[in-house]
Amino acid sequence: MDSSVVTFGNWLQNRSFALAVATSDWAYPFVQATHFTGLSLWVGTTVATDLSLLGMGNQYQSPLQLFNVLFVWNWIGFCIAVLGGFLLFSASAATYLINPAFLTKLGILIPLGLMLHILIQQKIRVWGQQPQTPRVARIAGLVELLFWISVVTAAVSIPYFG
Amino acid sequence: MLIQIGEALQDNSLIVTLNSVGWMAATLEIVHYFGMFVLVGSIAIVDLRVMGLAGQQYSATKIAQRLFPWMWAGLALNFLSGFLMFAGIAASYIPDSTFRMKMSVILAAVVFGIIVQWKVPAWDKSAGMPMWAKLIAAVSLLLWVGAILAGNEVPALSGLG
Repeated sequence: MDSSVVTFGNWLQNRSFALAVATSDWAYPFVQATHFTGLSLWVGTTVATDLSLLGMGNQYQSPLQLFNVLFVWNWIGFCIAVLGGFLLFSASAATYLINPAFLTKLGILIPLGLMLHILIQQKIRVWGQQPQTPRVARIAGLVELLFWISVVTAAVSIPYFG
Repeated sequence: MLIQIGEALQDNSLIVTLNSVGWMAATLEIVHYFGMFVLVGSIAIVDLRVMGLAGQQYSATKIAQRLFPWMWAGLALNFLSGFLMFAGIAASYIPDSTFRMKMSVILAAVVFGIIVQWKVPAWDKSAGMPMWAKLIAAVSLLLWVGAILAGNEVPALSGLG
């Protein structure tokens, strides 16, 4: 299994677009900036929603009203982050595919975080109608906040394993 | 003079410890990124609202009142962790032109952020956002994307960090 994963990584990082990202002097910072701009939209709007579920700032709007403002840009941010992230990954795919921090981030933390995220987005229609949120909503908001901090932690740890 | 201050900073034993112990250095990075995401994500939504691209059914003032505290909290986290990482190799960062460019773009972005925060209640009173309000919001958004790009250019062009 290991060798086929590495074979795939080597194949991917030898595609012309991946080589362009990896070898161009100017492209890499632009691709990084794409990834981080997408993440700012994704994490920023997600954190605002979670803090609202925790009952913070709800004197201006209910959590559901805030969520209605953020929802579209939350997922636009996600798409931008995935696009930039995929390009960064493909630039040195074979190295990433054997990095334990990367595998933890992509294989465990992000799938679980996304499931919780989508569950919260379903439930907020009920949880978020009043400024005072139910206890289960506060727990969900706190857990999701900690989840995305753990994703950032895993991401920052990648070079420490490389 | 500035370089001497930089040298004093990077010789400070607390600064040395924070930047050389693995988990402490990683924690600074985590706080720096997380703060940046909260900072840029919050101001971006307010800018997009002013530009007519988000939450048109809700008052821009309410959205701004709700998100600006998170913008400032994100900026505080981002700045504090960023300063401590800067302090670790301050004497090298201070004369570096890419680093100076990054700081200039961030300063401009913060100024535009303050203008947006200050003007949103007035803009909100007119029927539809004034054209120049949309322009200021667009510049604010572009400056933050520019700040992120400049941040990535520092290690890419100067080799620092």
